[in-house]
Amino acid sequence: MTLRSSLATAVGRSSYFVLHDVLKRGGSSLPGKLAMKIDPQVMSHLAEKYDVILITGTNGKTLTTALTTRVLREIYPDVITNPSGSNMMQGITGTMLTAKPKDKNARPIALLEVDEANVEEVARQLKPMAFVLTNIFRDQLDRYGEIYTTYEKVLKGIRLFPEATVIANADSPIFLREELPNPKVYYGFNHVSADGDMRAPSNTDGVLSPTDNSILHYHFMTYGNQGYYFSKTDDFKRPELDYAVTKLIEMTPQSSTFEIDGTPFKIEIGGMYNIYNALAAYSVGRFMGVDVPHVQHAFTSNAQIFGRQETIKVEDKVVTIVLIKNPVGANQVIDMMKTDDQPFSLVTLLNANYADGIDTSWIWDADFESLLGTGISAVSTGGERYKDMYVRLKMAGFGAHPIYPNLKDVLGAIKEMPTEHVYVAATYTAMMQLREEMKQAGYIKTEKEA
Amino acid sequence: MTEYKLNVAHLYGDLMNTYGDYGNAVALGYYAKQLGVEVETEIVSLGDEFDAKAYDFVLFGGGQDYEQMIVCKDIPSKADAIKEYIENDGPFLGVCGGFQLLGDYFILADGTRVEGIKAMGHYTLNQPNGRFIGNVIIEDPTNGDVYRGFENHQGRTFLDDKQRPLGELKQGKGNNGEDGGEGLVYRNVYGTYFHGPIFARNGNLTLRVLEKMLNRRYPDVDWHSRIEKIEPEFY
Repeated sequence: MTLRSSLATAVGRSSYFVLHDVLKRGGSSLPGKLAMKIDPQVMSHLAEKYDVILITGTNGKTLTTALTTRVLREIYPDVITNPSGSNMMQGITGTMLTAKPKDKNARPIALLEVDEANVEEVARQLKPMAFVLTNIFRDQLDRYGEIYTTYEKVLKGIRLFPEATVIANADSPIFLREELPNPKVYYGFNHVSADGDMRAPSNTDGVLSPTDNSILHYHFMTYGNQGYYFSKTDDFKRPELDYAVTKLIEMTPQSSTFEIDGTPFKIEIGGMYNIYNALAAYSVGRFMGVDVPHVQHAFTSNAQIFGRQETIKVEDKVVTIVLIKNPVGANQVIDMMKTDDQPFSLVTLLNANYADGIDTSWIWDADFESLLGTGISAVSTGGERYKDMYVRLKMAGFGAHPIYPNLKDVLGAIKEMPTEHVYVAATYTAMMQLREEMKQAGYIKTEKEA
Repeated sequence: MTEYKLNVAHLYGDLMNTYGDYGNAVALGYYAKQLGVEVETEIVSLGDEFDAKAYDFVLFGGGQDYEQMIVCKDIPSKADAIKEYIENDGPFLGVCGGFQLLGDYFILADGTRVEGIKAMGHYTLNQPNGRFIGNVIIEDPTNGDVYRGFENHQGRTFLDDKQRPLGELKQGKGNNGEDGGEGLVYRNVYGTYFHGPIFARNGNLTLRVLEKMLNRRYPDVDWHSRIEKIEPEFY
């Protein structure tokens, strides 16, 4: 380590000590910021002693990283990871600065969630041994960043390290666009027989074959543009899977039971997308030598990390608040509600502040129509852009329904819903406002991490 | 079983669909159902033939640059049929990329010139350092109707003298940020940069275009008095 890096490390560590131990503040970005000011290369020196694995993609980074960390900790004494949201350079540097090795003899692992746009810069400094790719979807907050542009940013990092293993979701055709020299591990779904021939629903992004830009066909689809795709014009198709979900046993809004390569697993969270996250964690674990019983143990003994879909008791109602921000995510929330075996009500809350995305047109690409004829008993809409959502649901076939332009009225409305189960699908700022109302009314006791 | 039926072509609906354009078809179906009219939507995409006589309405949305370039390579094979449909007063809605591609040419962000199908004379330039993003309000000068939408486009489109803008800007940048117009009208073709989608947000326009479709397909029915009874949705 150079003198400059040693100084940077010392300053970073002592600032963490002051923030954390003296001032009792969390402070994960300031130590990294200070250290990087003194030596921009500090991270590469810190990283030398770690086996680094980077996890990136549009959706599922955080849970995949958290789950994979639990899986690796089953057999590795030292696995460091960055807290949710600290996936930029400063946060990652801070994570490495403040880590304390438990076992001086074992080589520690750094398992890091990285924002897609930062993969190149982070990879250059950390020299990863593996890249984990979850998926790439169009995101509401980045609407003219196209999926191909986003993937190109990820590729720029991968191309620097042709020896690093790429552990990729093979159900997502975008990851097959470039012939990479790297060793590969592919995971995906093989839960139904592969004899169908279908095309994606019309408003699905990313359905062009990488070989000749013909429209892909599918033997089956899971969600979004994912599934067992193949080309009708040449022999392009999804590659052979190394690890696969082989059976879906039971899906409810609170849990999923399924098999990976014939072994049963259960996770305490609903939604097909979370099975993909679990499958990614399984694949990384197996790649790193974790055996199947340890992966099972990691999934079942860490129920608290699935904290995002918490249910909140409001008088006699069981309320599930879910974030919606783009069509693929909203469709997953819709599919999750449909697995409820009880009748339910839906409250949609739409704001259009910057953090929500200022263009609300994406609500038309979400398949609210598919809720018709399910256990849904009532719908209502609220938030600053309640009119947009009102017309959306009306035209979807739900007819006229109650509206709550003021979010302060939503809590009262929830209590009046005709069913015990109530889902609130809200954009970011609407969700925060409602949670604040619930806190003030005493329904949410403690601050949970978002 | 309904007595009346409209056939809709969603042109490249599996590739040009980025900004909720599908909502235009949803809105159309919503109003048609109230008139007892069934709407059948078919995607006409890469390699498919476009039959100029088969449709009562054509929807052509916007897409990502990559998909739009793939469409540019395929659409010349359909260009003559699309022109025939338009010249026969076929109702057509082109949004964003679908609006640009009907014209003479457009210039991409990097300066590349891409030929349109030249069904009409409008053309689209780029803007080196910017993008028009935000809420738009326009007023249709022929009837005083107001339409609301959201724009998000890099192209600047200029009309020729056979076309008129769909509306005069009350808020927003419109076609090019210069001449105060938004969108275009030519025969029964409507072009616009409105996301939102325009038919979902502006029931007055949707019902007017629906009436054109129905009069063209079923000229012996008094659609006007039936449509007058329908309540249009706005937001």
